[in-house]
Amino acid sequence: MHATIQKPIDEIVSFIKPGEKVFVVGCNNCAWKCHSGGEDETRKMAERLIKRGVDVVGYSVPGPQGMSLCKLSNTRQVLQENYKEQVNKADSFLVLACGQGVHTVIDATDGALVHPGCDTIFGGETVSENEIEEFCSLCGECIIEYTGGLCPMTLCAKQLLNGPCGGAENGHCEVDEERPCGWIMIYERLKKLGRLELIEGYLGPKNNAKWSRPRSLRVSPTEATFCSIAGRITVSNQD
Amino acid sequence: MKLTDLFKEDIFVVTGEVGPIKGALSRDKSKVPQCVKEAELLKDHVHAVNVTDNQSAVMRLGSMFASVGLKNRGIEPIYQLTCRDRNRIALQSDLLTAYSFGIDNVLLLTGDHIQLGDHKEAKPVFDLDSVQLIKMARKLNEGYDLTGNKLENPIDMALGAVVNPNFEPLELQLLKMKKKVDAGAEFFQTQAVYDEGVLERFMNLASRFNRPIQLGVVVLKSPQMGNFMNKNVSGISVPQAWIDEIGSVDKADRKKKAAEMMGRFIGKVKHMVQGVHIMPLGWSDIVPKILEYAEIEAKQAA
Repeated sequence: MHATIQKPIDEIVSFIKPGEKVFVVGCNNCAWKCHSGGEDETRKMAERLIKRGVDVVGYSVPGPQGMSLCKLSNTRQVLQENYKEQVNKADSFLVLACGQGVHTVIDATDGALVHPGCDTIFGGETVSENEIEEFCSLCGECIIEYTGGLCPMTLCAKQLLNGPCGGAENGHCEVDEERPCGWIMIYERLKKLGRLELIEGYLGPKNNAKWSRPRSLRVSPTEATFCSIAGRITVSNQD
Repeated sequence: MKLTDLFKEDIFVVTGEVGPIKGALSRDKSKVPQCVKEAELLKDHVHAVNVTDNQSAVMRLGSMFASVGLKNRGIEPIYQLTCRDRNRIALQSDLLTAYSFGIDNVLLLTGDHIQLGDHKEAKPVFDLDSVQLIKMARKLNEGYDLTGNKLENPIDMALGAVVNPNFEPLELQLLKMKKKVDAGAEFFQTQAVYDEGVLERFMNLASRFNRPIQLGVVVLKSPQMGNFMNKNVSGISVPQAWIDEIGSVDKADRKKKAAEMMGRFIGKVKHMVQGVHIMPLGWSDIVPKILEYAEIEAKQAA
């Protein structure tokens, strides 16, 4: 999921020009889980804006709970059909979702002006209802087979692939004494699993071309093609 | 002069360390930068002097330029190169340039994280880690760049690496040390160690790699510094006994005391290692005294 946090209300208000008619859009999946743009927060945002003198022409969290705003077909249908009247009045859309969601609204409205209502902070695991943790950096070249499923690109502050730096103190990272050293986590886990040999091998430099932006994925039921400046990589899921 | 040539002759290798200044070299040639003054004090007592690379992630004069400056003054530099601020193109280019300027020794490190320094909002690079960096430097020594392109002229540098004997679990640190050896590290300098037992345990396990190891020591200047390092400097642990001893004398006598303490410790453990790397943090003037207490003389190569 994409973790998001609402921008401070004063910053959001500063995006909106006097007299501008705003339609507020939330997301019923990730932003709902983050309490940054679910149904409650979206309605509340409309109220908070109205209280501050903003002309809010409507609000919507397209689709049922679990539906992502970034599913363009659904978002387009809801905004252009169900909310047609309010949407037509709007000068701009305040989007309470991740950056993908913001772009989905651009597409769903055929290019309307959008304002981001959130900062998109990371892709994470919903560990509990009130805790989202980052375990993957979306680098495009997964090496966690060799690290017990724990990603050093994410859990090591220096993204080291071949073991820890010398900076850990009492098992904690030199950057943040609150958090454990990612490499000690990897080591302890593999030791427990009896698979320490996995981290004995050398891991070469990452292919950063696979981490180029923007990237795209073309999918079909039988194969997928990952497109980046590293080229096109097509993989079949059939045999 | 490559440090590896000294190790080959079983010479106990003594190195010091200076940090480049926060600022540029003055056009007024009469103004000698502090790091040069410190290096001059070390000149006749050590084989070479490490030149740190924006240490603690604090932005300073470049380590390459400062290394060249020392070389021109007849002081052998060990150019420190970290992964923090350069991608693989810059790292390779800097090594080619450093060698072209006459630098023979390089110490290849990950580098302290940006969060420890004075530009906390900078982008950390870490395109390579220290193991990959060492392997890359070895390829340059062999005449090829990281992607296998042939170089017009290879470099020929002694490749140094670092290891932290204080690290827990030590097995994990040794696993990384082995990777550095396999990648091409030719000698090691340790993080500062103040405990004979820690060093002994480490050396017993690390000697199997058959690479010369220099014991790293940071000159303890005051009890405050000891407490500060324990709290803030990652990977270093100063025993209370050291803190008490340096605190047992007045400020005016601390240099003398520090020289005695450091010298006594080095003298006691020198048989375990192939050299010592003294980080005087500005107190370069006491390095000769430290070596005297430790009964070490930086012998020249035959």
